[in-house]
Amino acid sequence: MVASAGSKKRKAVTRDVEEEAGTFSGDELAGDLNGALSGSANDLSSDEDDSEVELVDEFSSDEDDDEEEELDSDEIPSDGEDAVKKNSAKSTAAPADDESSSDEAEVNFRIEKDANGNDRYVYDEINPDDNSDYSDIDEDSNTIGNIPLSFYDQYPHIGYDINGKKIMRPATGEALDALLDSIEIPKGFTGLTDPSTGKPLELSQDELELLRKVQMNEIPEDGYNPYEPLMEWFTTEKEVMPLSAAPEPKRRFLPSKHEAKRVMKLVKAIREGRILPYKPPSEQEEEDKDLIKYDLWADEEERPDHIMHVPAPKLPPPGYEESYHPPAEYLPDQKERKTWEQADPEDREREYLPTDFGSLRKVPGYGEFVKEKFERCLDLYLAPRVRRSKLNIDPESLLPKLPSPEELKPFPSMCATVFRGHKGRVRSIAVDPTGVWLATAGDDGTVRVWELLTGRQLWSVQLSEEDAVNVVRWRPGKDAVVLAAAAGDDLYLMVPSILDPELEQASLELLDAGWGYAASKPAPSATEEGKKTPPQWIRPSSALTDSGVCAVIPLRYVAKSISWHRRGDYFVTVCPGASTPASVAVAIHTVSKHLTQYPFSRRIKGGGPPQTAHFHPSKPILFVANQRSVRGYDLSRQLLVKIVQPGARWISSFDIHPTSSTASGGDNLIVGSYDRRLLWHDLELSQRPYKTLRYHRKAIRAVKFHPSGRYPLFADASDDGSLQIFHGSVTGDMLSNASIVPLKVLKGHKITGELGVLDIDWHPREAWCVSAGADGTCRLWM
Amino acid sequence: MNGTQESSSAASAQRQVRVQLVSKQEDIALPENTGPILVPTGLRRYALSTLVNNLLGNDKPVPFEFLINGAFLRTSIDEYLTANGISAETTLEIEYIRALIPPLHIASFEHDDWVSAVDVLSATSSAASWASSSIPQGQERILSASYDGLLRVWNMSSQIVATSPSAVEGGHSASIKAAKFLSPNSIVSAGLDRTVHLWKYTESEDGFSGKIAPQLELYGHKSGINSLAVHAPSNRILTASSDHAVGFWSAKKSDAPAAPESLLPSAASRTSKRRKLNSSVSTPQRGPLALLSSHTAPVSAAIFDAKDSTVGYSTSWDHTLRTWDLVTAALVDTRSTSHSLLSLEHLPEHHLLATGTSARHITLIDPRVSATTISAMTLRGHTNAVVSLSRDPHSSYGLISGSHDGTCRIWDIRATKTDKEGVVGESVYSITRKSLEEAGKADAKRVGGEGVKVFGVCWDRSVGIVSAGEDKRIQINRGEGVLSSA
Repeated sequence: MVASAGSKKRKAVTRDVEEEAGTFSGDELAGDLNGALSGSANDLSSDEDDSEVELVDEFSSDEDDDEEEELDSDEIPSDGEDAVKKNSAKSTAAPADDESSSDEAEVNFRIEKDANGNDRYVYDEINPDDNSDYSDIDEDSNTIGNIPLSFYDQYPHIGYDINGKKIMRPATGEALDALLDSIEIPKGFTGLTDPSTGKPLELSQDELELLRKVQMNEIPEDGYNPYEPLMEWFTTEKEVMPLSAAPEPKRRFLPSKHEAKRVMKLVKAIREGRILPYKPPSEQEEEDKDLIKYDLWADEEERPDHIMHVPAPKLPPPGYEESYHPPAEYLPDQKERKTWEQADPEDREREYLPTDFGSLRKVPGYGEFVKEKFERCLDLYLAPRVRRSKLNIDPESLLPKLPSPEELKPFPSMCATVFRGHKGRVRSIAVDPTGVWLATAGDDGTVRVWELLTGRQLWSVQLSEEDAVNVVRWRPGKDAVVLAAAAGDDLYLMVPSILDPELEQASLELLDAGWGYAASKPAPSATEEGKKTPPQWIRPSSALTDSGVCAVIPLRYVAKSISWHRRGDYFVTVCPGASTPASVAVAIHTVSKHLTQYPFSRRIKGGGPPQTAHFHPSKPILFVANQRSVRGYDLSRQLLVKIVQPGARWISSFDIHPTSSTASGGDNLIVGSYDRRLLWHDLELSQRPYKTLRYHRKAIRAVKFHPSGRYPLFADASDDGSLQIFHGSVTGDMLSNASIVPLKVLKGHKITGELGVLDIDWHPREAWCVSAGADGTCRLWM
Repeated sequence: MNGTQESSSAASAQRQVRVQLVSKQEDIALPENTGPILVPTGLRRYALSTLVNNLLGNDKPVPFEFLINGAFLRTSIDEYLTANGISAETTLEIEYIRALIPPLHIASFEHDDWVSAVDVLSATSSAASWASSSIPQGQERILSASYDGLLRVWNMSSQIVATSPSAVEGGHSASIKAAKFLSPNSIVSAGLDRTVHLWKYTESEDGFSGKIAPQLELYGHKSGINSLAVHAPSNRILTASSDHAVGFWSAKKSDAPAAPESLLPSAASRTSKRRKLNSSVSTPQRGPLALLSSHTAPVSAAIFDAKDSTVGYSTSWDHTLRTWDLVTAALVDTRSTSHSLLSLEHLPEHHLLATGTSARHITLIDPRVSATTISAMTLRGHTNAVVSLSRDPHSSYGLISGSHDGTCRIWDIRATKTDKEGVVGESVYSITRKSLEEAGKADAKRVGGEGVKVFGVCWDRSVGIVSAGEDKRIQINRGEGVLSSA
């Protein structure tokens, strides 16, 4: 039985043995010893999957061969052991195995007796699956293959069917049959003869349909819809970087067996030490033992920057226009591009032209790279290493901190009273030292005294019929009330009849005292200095005496400025007329002696005739202004002590701060000019103005400080019809400068004949001011 | 009534508040003890006034003003409650008083020159009450002092009853700035001629002609006199002068000391001035009882304390208000403000002195030593210096002021609000000059009150508000409805 078994599967055994001979290179002995046993055992195992083995081999033979070759060294020992064990086990259980194997064999084949009486194994038909490539061969089909049928012309048959039976040549039909057939055409008749069977070729309905489709150039397959909706795995539009909608191929989801095997092999090799995951340390180090190495930077620590270190300038981050793909609004249009190209490289606003490259890979190399680097190197080479200290100052902090006008109250802000009565311009205005009366003088030749608060005219005198009264000033001091006025060529001293008897008496006595002194004095030597004879004071006409005028000084020239000394004994007049001789332009008058003197024998240098003059409020200094400058003369020492150059073209008026020099600070002066400027001078500081206030549209006619030290106010009057009130506080110490704040513009005077406000004055105590307008009115502002 | 309430309640929120309406005046008190009334909070003054009129059953509605916690209701009740944080749950006590009728122009008496001061002689004026003489209705007299140096006495039919003599006949030689009835038969006046004149005023039987005869001349001031005050029971006069002094005078010839020689017109040296003073009438000349001189600037006003005639107050351009003990002629107290003070009036019920300033407002000052703050309240609204003040004869809270801006303003010191500068009041009514309206320039604003300045104002219970000014006329205004019902 053993022998029969061995012969039975001889072919298979030999093949196995051949394989084993390939693998069992060194164990032939054991194989020979167990040859029979193992052969039977192998038969048993191989019988089961005989056909399958054949089939599988077709697909995987190549791979298997490779694998087996590669795995040789690994698998041999264990397989050898397994085989030995198996063989020994199977040798003992061989009979039982035989029976069981014959039982199993009935499933696959049946044993028949062939012609010689030997067993013949008849195997079952292999039933291919539906998906098999093997088509069901028709029983009747001719099996002669691809040879011409003419080979069988001599034979009665035309070939063999699958069972080897002759396929007889079909009998050729009678002509009648053919006729009948042609008359009664069966379905699927083609008129052709099937060459393989010799019968008329009849085609089924399906085949006809198939033929039709082929003829019509249609897809022959059944149920195929040529117009199925298109599944767009790739978009039809052309895209730079397309996205695929194609389904993932299956291989992506399956773990690769091959890779797993490779990995396992590697893991195994690493475990067994055949592959070393790291490089074994080289033995080179030992050679350099005697070489000494120095680590230069071993003990290096961070050092502060060098004192001359200039950090690289921090450039602003690039903007949109510098992008390789800037938004459309940053791209230059044709005109801009042209102007950029035509401009010199130095004149260009920026060194590049925004360009749209579409994508980053299209950006070309930078053409200017080398040139730019070269220039940068040149810059660095030539750059001076100088640290430029940058001033970091908030511009706001440089502005002086001006208090708001609200905090600086009180100051005049509204017109409280309008004084109406003068015909023609009112040229001069003055508030009396007690602050109750107001004196005005105007073109109508009158001097008027008003009640300040109500605007009631109390007294008036007509000094001249044709000449205007240019200026009127109260004598300071409360012991007497005297008005000095200049009309035409004469000066008038008056005591208005608004006083109580006591005060009136005192005032009259003050003015009358000088008559005696003048009479007792020897007559001036008129012969010595011909034209410089000082005028003699004379008594007024009786009409003027009745109206209150007490003395007249015939000055012979038109005086436009009167300024009293604070003690009330002197006053200075200035005749600015161009025809006035220089020596008599400025005159100082002494009330108690009825004496007039000319302090200057020559014209003040530079700047035309003198314009106005004031006594210093506390020092024996007379300030005289000509058109360009203000000069201070010490009268006791006969010296020029101060020159102030405001820089104005034509000074109209000036005033000295009332507390100048008394509070240890320097003298402060305000100067108004016909060229619209108001200039504040600190005499300690400079000859030049400390501050220039240019707020008026037209000439400034008069400037005035508030006479009491109580309110740090000053005001100016301009031909634009407005007054401006300023706060100008002078500090006692020399450290800080005066702070000047514009407070208020007072409007109300009408501009008449290009003239606006001609004169201003302050109330001696209150923050009220009065103004004289060319419109014939005076106004009280409070 | 129902219609009004329904409409108002429909318009306003559905909130209601319980109010107790009370009045201190008998004639308008609610008939029976009316309990609290539930009213919608959306009501304003007019709706409340209608409500009270309906409750009183008046045929002719009387306008009312409503006071909550001493302040006028100027908004709806709802807004008032919200502003003051009062819950609508509480019962609100609302006092109602007769509303001030807008004073209507009654008459204007025209003068030849600016009118500086006015005074009224009526049954309720102080001069009449001091003399306890009765002035019948319709026989009131109005005294006006003019810048032409004449005093005029007018009757109510705008006729001049009497005119003071001119300078040559013993009258004022310059403008008169102040004049007052000392009694129904005597007048005191003072002006820029630095003298105080005491006049005897007599009327004929029919009352259509009278005579003002000089009785006494008081010398002592060295500058113009700005205002004067009289106290008839003690025959004392206070004057405020620009020579920085307050004069204290006696109106009785026997009490007064002799006049200072140097100040008499005969002392004037100038012949031209003597001419005027050769008056045919020789009037007794007397001097001051005391000259109170501690002011440092012209004194603008001087008044007696309304309750105590031995106490005087004076205001000056030197920003101070001074309290004087007149018996000893001693300065008691000085209150400094920040502006020149131009007028003064005493509100005795509230211990306040109202003074008008050059800074266009009225400051209420508590003169008592215990008062900590100088300015209790500021009344704002005038646009020029406030030069004249007078009390409301109907109410202790009322005040009228005359200003150089050409208006008289009526103030109620309860109508106030508090802002950053303290308590500030607003005027209730403003009376403009009739002369402006007649000139057709009622709306035109005069710069500096030119031509319409008000120099003097006097408020009398029976005559009304009499004001004098630069427009050469005195103007009488009266709230007709109020006075008739009162």
